[in-house]
Amino acid sequence: MKRTHIISLLLIGALIGSFIATFISTSRSVNFAEAAATPGEECKVSGTLNRDYPVVYEPEVDPTKTTFHMVDVAGETQRVVLNQPKPTGLENSESIDLYGSAVDGEFHATEMLMKCPSKYNENNHVLLSEDTQGES
Amino acid sequence: MSPEYIGEWTEVAFLGRTLIALAFGASFVAVVSFLKEWNHIGKRAFQLHAISTFASIALIFALFGAHRYEFQYIWKHLNNEMPMRFIFSAFWGGQEGGFLLWMFWHNVLGLILLRTTTRWSAKVMATLSGIELFLSSMLLGIYFGDFQLGLDPFLLLREAPNNWGLPWTGRLDYLTSFPMFQDGQGLNPLLQNYWMTIHPPTLFLGFAATSVPFAFAAAGLTQRDDRSWMTPALRWGVFGIGILGTGILMGGAWAYEALSFGGFWAWDPVENSSLVPWLTLVAGTHLLLINRNKKSPMALFSTFYFLLISFLLVLYSTFLTKSGILGDTSVHSFVDSGILPQLLVYVLSFVGFAHILLLKSVQWRRGMAILAVALTVIALKGYVIEAIAVFLLALTFTTIKAYRTDFERSSEEESVWSREFWMFVGSLLFLVSAAHITWQTSLPVFNQFLEPLGPILSKLGAEWNSSLLTDLSKHNLAPGTDLDQTYHLVQVPLAILIMGTMGLAQWLKYKKSNVAQVGRSLILSLSLSILVSGVLVALFPFEWWELPRVVLLFSAAFAVFSNGDYLFRKAKGHWSKIGSPLAHVGFGLVIFGAVLSTSQKAIISQNQIGDISTLNEELNNREDLLIMEGDTLPLGPYFVSYRDRYQEGIHVKFRMDYFEKAPHNYAPGDVVFFDGMVFEALESHVASAQFSEDMEDHWMFIPFPNERQAAEAQIWKSGTAGPKQFTLEPRIQLNEQMGNAPEPDTRHWLHKDLYTHIKWGRVTPPETDEEGWMGGRTHTMLVGDSMLIGHTLMTIDSLRAITNEEKPARGLLEKDIGIAACVRLKNKTARQLHEPLYIVRDSIIIPDLYEAERFGIKMRIESFDPTEESLDMTVWEHESVRRDFVVMQAVMFPLINVLWFGCVLMAMGTALAIWSRYKRDRKSMPPHD
Repeated sequence: MKRTHIISLLLIGALIGSFIATFISTSRSVNFAEAAATPGEECKVSGTLNRDYPVVYEPEVDPTKTTFHMVDVAGETQRVVLNQPKPTGLENSESIDLYGSAVDGEFHATEMLMKCPSKYNENNHVLLSEDTQGES
Repeated sequence: MSPEYIGEWTEVAFLGRTLIALAFGASFVAVVSFLKEWNHIGKRAFQLHAISTFASIALIFALFGAHRYEFQYIWKHLNNEMPMRFIFSAFWGGQEGGFLLWMFWHNVLGLILLRTTTRWSAKVMATLSGIELFLSSMLLGIYFGDFQLGLDPFLLLREAPNNWGLPWTGRLDYLTSFPMFQDGQGLNPLLQNYWMTIHPPTLFLGFAATSVPFAFAAAGLTQRDDRSWMTPALRWGVFGIGILGTGILMGGAWAYEALSFGGFWAWDPVENSSLVPWLTLVAGTHLLLINRNKKSPMALFSTFYFLLISFLLVLYSTFLTKSGILGDTSVHSFVDSGILPQLLVYVLSFVGFAHILLLKSVQWRRGMAILAVALTVIALKGYVIEAIAVFLLALTFTTIKAYRTDFERSSEEESVWSREFWMFVGSLLFLVSAAHITWQTSLPVFNQFLEPLGPILSKLGAEWNSSLLTDLSKHNLAPGTDLDQTYHLVQVPLAILIMGTMGLAQWLKYKKSNVAQVGRSLILSLSLSILVSGVLVALFPFEWWELPRVVLLFSAAFAVFSNGDYLFRKAKGHWSKIGSPLAHVGFGLVIFGAVLSTSQKAIISQNQIGDISTLNEELNNREDLLIMEGDTLPLGPYFVSYRDRYQEGIHVKFRMDYFEKAPHNYAPGDVVFFDGMVFEALESHVASAQFSEDMEDHWMFIPFPNERQAAEAQIWKSGTAGPKQFTLEPRIQLNEQMGNAPEPDTRHWLHKDLYTHIKWGRVTPPETDEEGWMGGRTHTMLVGDSMLIGHTLMTIDSLRAITNEEKPARGLLEKDIGIAACVRLKNKTARQLHEPLYIVRDSIIIPDLYEAERFGIKMRIESFDPTEESLDMTVWEHESVRRDFVVMQAVMFPLINVLWFGCVLMAMGTALAIWSRYKRDRKSMPPHD
């Protein structure tokens, strides 16, 4: 066995070790019900803003707290507390990804990603509506 | 005959498509000719391909210049307001432009390669033309049923699939009748900056540069006894390292300067996937350096393999970012544009091509090719993921086979004290780093592979009682958000070893070195690095768990000093030797600056308002400061004042003045708040930086403040605002397309940066009713509670019942029950007591709206709880007294300039290395054959 082989094997071992070590820290995308089953554990929940409830951001009271309601993929709605100032465009967002954990029937998010409608699609609506106007 | 659309450049669209088709066809001819060694035809075909590509690029620029909005690509990325200086950003703002930019560089590199002819030329050009063949197919825009082959950059809006069948597309006068076509959507304002002009071309040149070593390695695999391909490949490898490295760091600089991520590197999948090919290219190029002149090769398989996968990983990166598979795990990936299948075919074809070439025997190659064809048929039947999985497993198997039997090996043992041994170790470390990052980035891809296995995994998981298998069966892996856990845990130890290897190997000689001599040479660098790390630990508040970081800083300092020392002692005056140590110094500084500035960044903004007790501690993020217009608040070593705001173009800019912090004197009897508690000064003193330092000696805790103390109490401050030093203008970009986006403003010093951005700010005035009242929020307040409404501090002093004598004067009937809340209002100029009423008449609540005119405040008690002594009160504020405010964050990045300086040195070092290599190779090369 040559030295280079020993080193290679050692590093392959380290590699597999690193995969396992960081695999533990990956989160899971779940729905609210599954998140509630493992309270306090970090996970990712995707869904859309529930527009029946208001988005509450009161910077004078707490500049880093935004609350709103989200419907997850299973159709369940939960109150979400985000520890960030209200992200711009939240009200118009198409979909939301929350990273955080379930706490007492709520979801506490520390990070949030949003997909906003691209203007491209919006303008297609414009095209459509102008088109119908043009025809009538 | 097709109808003629009025005013439409139908012929230009046709011309553009012809050019793309020509480019596609010519690259096909080039591939075939170069494979058949008809070099003359191949050369002409490639030139034709290049000319067509350049012409179609020029044509698109012309369409941009002429504002031809009937073209979808122009309409999507341009509008009438956009300044023409962003035309480049607009050009590569979409996928089509990105592909064209990539092709542009391949053509430039290809034309350069065509100027010299060696025995490898035909094969190298065949591979390069093959890459171009696939790339130009990405622009064809042909549909086979549902399968879309390419995105046509010359697509007319009326032909776009989402407009199919719409009535207006049939009108010949659509361009003139609909105002819609007089203006486009415009480029996303986020992309309208100069970084977008310089970052993509650099990055894509770096991507294109990986194709050349790939092509050389592929050619080299066909004749394994001849290693002369390594000399030109080495130059191109170093070129790729320099350009791709610069491109990646430019992306970081863009994120840091113009976007509000709060840093220059976020381990975002898109960033990662451009870093990974760089890592493997560095590894492969260093192995080339070893093997180029060596009689008996060392790690020959790895040399080939690293160069091959560098390009394959570029393709994989393109696949991840452009196919939409990353979906929402990345902030800047493209959405799915329907070319996922084609991208997949592209990636897999080259993965297959490279891995089949690794096999030496014709039978094995043929076998694998047959398997690939068979699997393609299976995939077309609908078992796509299964087919890909089998394909990848087969490739893994044959690669191990090729590694074991198909490459020349030397039996001699390398000396541990040889440069090549440590270069090899370093290369492997780079590979491990790249593999780990790819593993993390590929989680969405793994989910795709786990999906068909779901039922089996969950069954096995239940049978074997394995929670891991059950977990995997859900195929719902998502990247973790704790970067320390997901990346640093592995990358920091690797970086420590890499930096150490880099510092050591430079002083070792090829074959064998004198250990004692090397040791003596390294003493200086080692002592300097220990000194530097000691100073850092003394200066910065490192925690004990940050030990790996400190070791990394030490290790990076060692790499810098050792290579710097080499530069001065050994390479001095020898231009040809300066390149590599200089690049190493640069890389060391990049790592040093990145680790130090990121780990020791200090968020100096602190939220000081809000009822701390009601906030969830764990969730409480106190790093954002709310500041009212006209207020001056302490901010780390400064005082900050929000002066005003103004709009300039698409930006709302907030003018924040920064003042020096002057010492603040407290006199005996002064009363302050701190953390919700009241204190009184015992003696005269100058405030320290932290209240805790003063509390014991100078302050007395007042559990029950008297009226004077309550009235006089001010928030404790560590200083007062001194002379003004500078103004920063963080801004919010008004962006209709993507939502308003904050953009930072940064104050640069030589040794640190102050990076500030607006986390929340109002860009439009708040909604009011007809009389100008706004708000109307209901608050639950206890007696004794205070609340800030605009300029006014409102305190509920007490509650009292209205006596019968008072009732007529207050407009109450005798039978009414009236409760008055004694509300104290206080602002800079006035203090008044007000008494809004809570009236119950015949057990019905009579709403009583109370207005405190002088303060511009209206209130109404909604409900009242006598046992708790609490009430719900709705408060309105008049717009005339409203104060604007913003929520901002300010971060200090220490020594971040070390990073940028390192980047410049790295680019210079690689440029010098290429230049000196080129000169040397030219000398040693036989005259043109």
